Amino acid sequence: MGNAEMENIITVRDCWMSFAGKEPGAEVHVLERVNLELAQGEFVCIVGPSGCGKSTLLNIVGGFLEETRGEVNVEGALVNGPDPGRIFVFQENGVFPWLTVEQNIGFGLLSRLAAERDERVRHYIAMVGLTGFEKSYPRELSGGMRQRVEIARALAADARVLYMDEPFGALDFLTRLKMRSDLIRIWQAEKKTILFVTHDIEEAVQLADRVLVMTKRPATIQDEVKIDLPRPRDLDSPGYLGARDRIFSIMGMDAHGGGAA
Amino acid sequence: MKLIRTLAIVLTVWLLGITALHGGLNLRWFAKRTGGSAGEKTFGVGFLPVTCHLTCPVTHYINKEMEGRDMFQPMRFSGWPELKEMFIGRPKDMPAAFILAPMAIALREQGVKIKIVHLGHRDGSAVMVHKDSGIFQTGDLRGKTVAVPGRYANQRLIIYRELKKAGMTIDDVKIVEMPPPDMPAALLSRSVDAITSGEPFMGQTELDGYGRTLWQAKDVWPGFISCVLAVHEDAIRDHRPEIQRLVNGIAASGKWIDESMAHRMDAAQFVATNYYNQNPRLLSFVLSKPPDRVTYSRLKPLRPEFEEIERLAKEAGILQGTAHFEDYVDDTFAPDPTTVNAPKFEVKK
Amino acid sequence: MNRRVLHILLPLITGVLFLTVWHVAVKMSGSDIFPTPRHVLDGLGELVRQGLLLKYVVASLFRVSWGFIAAVLVGVPLGLALGWFRPAYAALNPFIQILRPISPIAWIPVAILWFGVKDTAPVFLIFLASVFPITVSSMAAVQNMQQVYLRAAQNFGLGGLELFRRVIFPAALPQIITGIRIALGVAWLVVVAAEMIAVNSGLGYLIIDARNAGKRYDLVVAGMVMIGLIGLVLDVLVRRLEKFDEVRWGYGQR
Repeated sequence: MGNAEMENIITVRDCWMSFAGKEPGAEVHVLERVNLELAQGEFVCIVGPSGCGKSTLLNIVGGFLEETRGEVNVEGALVNGPDPGRIFVFQENGVFPWLTVEQNIGFGLLSRLAAERDERVRHYIAMVGLTGFEKSYPRELSGGMRQRVEIARALAADARVLYMDEPFGALDFLTRLKMRSDLIRIWQAEKKTILFVTHDIEEAVQLADRVLVMTKRPATIQDEVKIDLPRPRDLDSPGYLGARDRIFSIMGMDAHGGGAA
Repeated sequence: MKLIRTLAIVLTVWLLGITALHGGLNLRWFAKRTGGSAGEKTFGVGFLPVTCHLTCPVTHYINKEMEGRDMFQPMRFSGWPELKEMFIGRPKDMPAAFILAPMAIALREQGVKIKIVHLGHRDGSAVMVHKDSGIFQTGDLRGKTVAVPGRYANQRLIIYRELKKAGMTIDDVKIVEMPPPDMPAALLSRSVDAITSGEPFMGQTELDGYGRTLWQAKDVWPGFISCVLAVHEDAIRDHRPEIQRLVNGIAASGKWIDESMAHRMDAAQFVATNYYNQNPRLLSFVLSKPPDRVTYSRLKPLRPEFEEIERLAKEAGILQGTAHFEDYVDDTFAPDPTTVNAPKFEVKK
Repeated sequence: MNRRVLHILLPLITGVLFLTVWHVAVKMSGSDIFPTPRHVLDGLGELVRQGLLLKYVVASLFRVSWGFIAAVLVGVPLGLALGWFRPAYAALNPFIQILRPISPIAWIPVAILWFGVKDTAPVFLIFLASVFPITVSSMAAVQNMQQVYLRAAQNFGLGGLELFRRVIFPAALPQIITGIRIALGVAWLVVVAAEMIAVNSGLGYLIIDARNAGKRYDLVVAGMVMIGLIGLVLDVLVRRLEKFDEVRWGYGQR
């Protein structure tokens, strides 16, 4: 077990989270007994019913919230705040609207020499497919393009880990498909560790090495589905459909998406 | 940050530009220095653009024409409150002012170091009614609205006095306070029934054809005192010679104004144009029709006259009665009226 | 219809309509005192011929410029600090809310007592009138800032002065500019009140003095017209600030 533990870049042990409730003295229990591990270079998705606390969990791992109880270890140290090596990608509006695309992407690079910075920015603009939009402002871009900027920004800053909180949730169906395949392409090229929260089970199955399924609130991780399929994944293959259906049934729904909530 | 940088540059350039413009146009920074003994800073004398304060600009003008320099800095105000505040707050800049007699006494009661040194004029007040109103004597004012300049105006006292003579009290009429410049319009629109203040606002209603005199101050209270020249005690202590020169000048120009009708008309011209920013025809009217509407002689402050004002004011509830003649008057400056000589000055035609 | 034409033609039509109604109303009321548009125009011409119009406009602009810019230099940093540091907000905000509703006119006696009748007094009043809207909106700009920007910035390891300079200030800037625009309107509005204090130049002074000079209500209205026109120009200029890329994002899509 020792060796495997050394490989784990993220370890969450017995994490509980409660917030103060509306009534004085009341408490809202969001997470209980959460345990998870990520190895370096893994792509792991967290799914669960609406409002179950997946975002809360991600924020705790990212260092933006402090857990009520438990231990969160990332890259060998306890987490007590966000870190530039582990960038959070938000669902919307994470990009700074007062900066151009290239200024945004270069945001984490101000300590580097100008030449190096420009080179990195150019590289990642190309990687996310935004060449030609260097001097554009976010308000001039579509939602999908803004998310690309955010991802490029995280990569350019040499993040080792990406925490992604439903990053494609605000986009339309076709854009989402494109973004997923681009994300996989980038992940394969850059070999980052990605912890990805989504409510879309299909998305999780298309992207992840492993899918962690959470319960309702107060949530815990009830099960894990390993997905050992080559990428890009064939949406008609039995492996894909099987994994998807397995997740549905874990969440108490039948193959048609209905059933117990 | 392009926005901030642009703003900073634009604003700096603008500030420099507008300051230079203002300095050049309004503050006369770049004008040649005119006359004046080297380094001598003159003091300010406050006044309102009313006929009662005529001696102020006249003294300044005659002195400027005859000696080529400013004896003092005439400071024109739009209303009593600002003038009063300037006197109280910045006596170093403006140690002297033309002010209402009851107001000066009240300030003294409140602890301001004010001393009346000379009178401004005599008479020069009236009560006007609309020519179509049925008001022909004081008794007709019962129940009507009368506009007065303010609680410390002597016009308020004269109303009180006349009402008493007609067997009425101040409660038999409705008193409203109004700035004198607004009174003519108020009378024209009949929003008040009678107005009273100093000239030229009373004469203006007559000149424009809708006002009729109910009575003039000179007819009901001969020698009526409204405005006085008051000086701050610190200036009396530290600048006696200048204050004496000021009082002498005021007395002398008063004599000059009363010397002839020609002088009065000349004064109407140069004061209205250069100091009051009014139509000269207005001032000409109130200085001549009738010629004794307002007079500028016999202006030494006398105890009996002030004690009468004190008494009336106390009765009318305007003063406490805690200050007396020797507290608020310094009559050591005012020359004996019989010894005052008008300057030999004629306006160049 | 061409946009240019729309923005020039429509106001022009409204303007002509307004002038006509004004003229007719005065004539019909038979008033001897209230000026018609023609009288006002003649009054303006008189001021130009006497060389007074330029002097007065410059004087008013001078005072508003200094008072307003001082308010920006004080109000923006103060508002930002109050928005960011909770103890500062708790300590000072109540006083700001107490001072804010006091009309500049009520401050006139204080202004005269402190500053006399030089230009400093109206500048002070204009400063007072402007500094509160600017401070309050700068404060709100920081307090209402999107959490997301802060989190993203902290994620990149920004803190302290750098966080402020690179994220908080730019994020707050659109709302700060809005506050500035409102405050400029207030400053220009207060110029009449401010120039009541025995200064002898300026558009506000023109109005007060014309009133005292007898029946020159044509000059009174001429002064009002000039104040209105300049106010319009000032507003248009500030609106141009909103077109800059650094803040354009904050003003909604149209």
